[in-house]
Amino acid sequence: MKGKKLGGIFLIAVLLIGLISGCSSQPSENGSTGDTIKIGFLGAKTGNVATYGINTLKGMKLAAEEINNAGGVLGKKIEIIEADNRGDRTEIANIMQKFITKDKVVAVIGDPTTGGTKVAAPIAQSNQVVLLSAGAAGEGVVEIGDYIFRNTLLDSVAAPITAKYVIEELKWDKAALVTSLNNDFSVGLSKIFAKAIKELGGEIVIEESIQDGDTDFSAQVTKIKEANPEVIIFTGYYTEAALFLQEARRQGLEAKMVAGDGCLSPDLIKLGGDAVEGSFVYCGFSPDQPTAETQKFIEAVKGKYNEEPDMFVAQGYDAVKILAAAMEKANSIDPKVFRDALAQTKNFPGVSGVTTFRENREPIKSPVYLLTVKDGKFTLQAKLPVKLEQ
Amino acid sequence: MFLQQLINGITLGSTYALIALGYTMVYGIIQLINFAHGEVYMVGAFTGLIFVNMFGANIALAILGAMICCMLLGVLIERIAYRPLQGSSRLSALISAIGVSIFLSTLVVLIRGPQTTSYPQMFKIVLYQVGPAKISNLQILIMIISAILMIALHLIVQKTKVGKAMRACAQDQDAARLMGISVEKIISLTFALGSALAAAGGVLVGIYFNAVFPTMGMMAGMKAFSAAVLGGIGSIPGAVLGGLFLGIAEVFGVAYLSSSYRDAIAFSILILVLLIKPTGLLGKPIQKKV
Amino acid sequence: MFNAYYLQVLVVVGINTILALGLNLITGITGQLSLGHAAFMSIGAYTSAILSLKYQLPFAVVLLSGAFMAAFFGIILGFPTLRLSGDYLAITTLGFAEITKVVLLNMESAGKALGLAGIPQKANVYNVYVLVIVVVFALIRLINSRVGRAFQAIREDEIAAEATGIPITRYKIMAFAIGSFLAGLGGGLYAHYLTYINPTDFGFLKSIEILNMVVLGGMGSIPGSVLGALILTVVPEMLRFVQDYRMLFYGVVLIFLMIFRPNGLLGGVSLTKMLSTRKRRNLETNN
Repeated sequence: MKGKKLGGIFLIAVLLIGLISGCSSQPSENGSTGDTIKIGFLGAKTGNVATYGINTLKGMKLAAEEINNAGGVLGKKIEIIEADNRGDRTEIANIMQKFITKDKVVAVIGDPTTGGTKVAAPIAQSNQVVLLSAGAAGEGVVEIGDYIFRNTLLDSVAAPITAKYVIEELKWDKAALVTSLNNDFSVGLSKIFAKAIKELGGEIVIEESIQDGDTDFSAQVTKIKEANPEVIIFTGYYTEAALFLQEARRQGLEAKMVAGDGCLSPDLIKLGGDAVEGSFVYCGFSPDQPTAETQKFIEAVKGKYNEEPDMFVAQGYDAVKILAAAMEKANSIDPKVFRDALAQTKNFPGVSGVTTFRENREPIKSPVYLLTVKDGKFTLQAKLPVKLEQ
Repeated sequence: MFLQQLINGITLGSTYALIALGYTMVYGIIQLINFAHGEVYMVGAFTGLIFVNMFGANIALAILGAMICCMLLGVLIERIAYRPLQGSSRLSALISAIGVSIFLSTLVVLIRGPQTTSYPQMFKIVLYQVGPAKISNLQILIMIISAILMIALHLIVQKTKVGKAMRACAQDQDAARLMGISVEKIISLTFALGSALAAAGGVLVGIYFNAVFPTMGMMAGMKAFSAAVLGGIGSIPGAVLGGLFLGIAEVFGVAYLSSSYRDAIAFSILILVLLIKPTGLLGKPIQKKV
Repeated sequence: MFNAYYLQVLVVVGINTILALGLNLITGITGQLSLGHAAFMSIGAYTSAILSLKYQLPFAVVLLSGAFMAAFFGIILGFPTLRLSGDYLAITTLGFAEITKVVLLNMESAGKALGLAGIPQKANVYNVYVLVIVVVFALIRLINSRVGRAFQAIREDEIAAEATGIPITRYKIMAFAIGSFLAGLGGGLYAHYLTYINPTDFGFLKSIEILNMVVLGGMGSIPGSVLGALILTVVPEMLRFVQDYRMLFYGVVLIFLMIFRPNGLLGGVSLTKMLSTRKRRNLETNN
């Protein structure tokens, strides 16, 4: 009993000492004066959304490594500061403050989710640190301030032209719309698809909901099969998409899937197998006819991580490269200075597509590539040009 | 459609039931909500996958291997996280269980990353037409294996000497000790059995839904725990009934009401049932002692 | 030393303290295990956020409205369910939390999964800690009142409490209402500090996190809840240096703390008791 008590006191003592030392530890070297450029990674490494965070980080690390091997930016090495936010928004706020006050980062890349970015953005804005989100595709992100950027294919651009192709070229006008209820990307995308389909004279014969993390979709599939759609529009991410289609094929529902770039991952095919054959996915680049840059990137990812890149890896990679290019151009690593160069990024040949920032800092990636899964591989179906006034 | 949805519901329900059994067994003996149970289920699914991928084991061997590994894990968890807490408040044990659960799920993410993987296709899926509905050989297999495991468990608890000792511990630990039963050993054994069932559930669910991922224990654990309470926690047939009930309620909620309210419907039914029968479907009314 | 990062963590500690104190009243002091505290928090957060965004009402008004709304739902849930005992009550609170989450995910005015963004940042270290102090003193007064003793009597032995003439259902509902009120208050502060809320913020894990604070600090002890909130907010931040192994350590810390201090760090410690024993000791030495 006495030992237990002593142990308890010891434990409390250790915690208190940690507390005090944690508070009084010196803030580290200022990033803008040292010989490294500190870029924060904001994303989850554990928890429900860890896949997206970890993959973004993989891309970022690869890009930083390439840049550093080539001599760095303005003679300085890029250092990625990592922190795990578990997908928890209180932690996101904590981490943003830590990045800015303790680590003195000049820019932060993340969060892959729109919600997380919305927590981080006001903090970045008021501290005049650049936040470049690689993944936040929903509405109301860059409006938060002029230090907030994102590098994604906007759903509001890509989804309507994809819907147009589906209805006019593929002649599928009876659609089932499947939304992941707890996924902000999916809820936003479903709204856009529903509006576009209605405007183009198509019909949504049934709307069903799932949740990220679900594995049983049998009930929804049975209902969809009753409604007999020609196409399934699925707005969630690839894991659920693969499992959903497997269940569909198991029950004899043969309609093909059309999905957003949240489904662009080798894991869609790995998990889904034959069931995802013939699915359509839109995205900002074509792994089928890669540019020299993209080809090099795919090889590099294979070499370093022994897997093929998904959309998040590609966007994380591009984000670092876009930032580096802006710093080079501005000849400064002060966010107040290179922000302007970043805002003027034009036709940046990234691996996730050719990126231009509009005046409102919204990215344009043109054209939109529509891919289809053929013989267990993503292949190019069509290039859909983007009208710029959209 | 009704028949198809019923089949969907029963399959889902039997997976809940398998996990719920472990909760109910541990609870029946030491009144502990074993929050780490969902994580044991997750570890079971992964060890099964390792057996299949590394040793090319067939489905029976994979299940057996995962069950043995998780038995050891269950005993280990009991030794480290629960035994030192015997005699202290139930909530302390609950928090310790949550600690184990966080530890295990993080460990698996660190070892193999957070992404979802699937079981390789182990045999050909055949669909049988039952009236207007389809049922696959895999669904039948899951129901059969679940039933076998549940009956085996029932026989162990009701017909063997060990089972008798377990029931004795559940009724009164002090009295059981006086009768010469090693209560510690019985608790260990309960953890082992419960964890083995969770492992079997993990492998079966992994094969059926074709998805194994580190956070799968969380939601499944919560649903299974609800199922156990719904059936009357501590009661083995109750856990089975509760699991099936919850599975069917969920599927019918989607079928006839709305898929956007899936979990809300399932939990509303759960609350309603508890309001009508405050100790669950098959739970014995608690005699309040003065 | 007090840079923005520490201030940030300090505010989160304050908000968590209010949440933990609310749950402590329900679970620690009255003995009713609740696994759905985050639901009441979300009700407070959403009510206050919507009032702020749509009607630009003053902060104090929205905060109180959120808290009262949460208390109202606490009573609604309490009426039918509080006759359930122990784990059956726990599971209904868990179920209620899941239902709340799903309803918010489907609610157009709550922004569905997109959440609510652009909530004005009104909470700061001053008003949060003023509220913490008010809540702590109010709870100390409450616990030492007739009502508070009734709560504790219910925790110790429901039947004996009933036999001595305590209307247990009424008192249980009262405890639930006050606890939910505090959860709603914490939720409102949370929304007006982070400026963005989303239904998935208030899941099962959040409820468990708050429960951890209560149990770790010591059930029924008010200084315990404060300490629990402090430790469980600060430790994960301190553990950042172990990088990827952080949550692994967090799990281990939970297990070991429970093994070494099964009744929580300050289990059974209350401020008034500490003061009164000192007084008594003083008297004894004087004699």
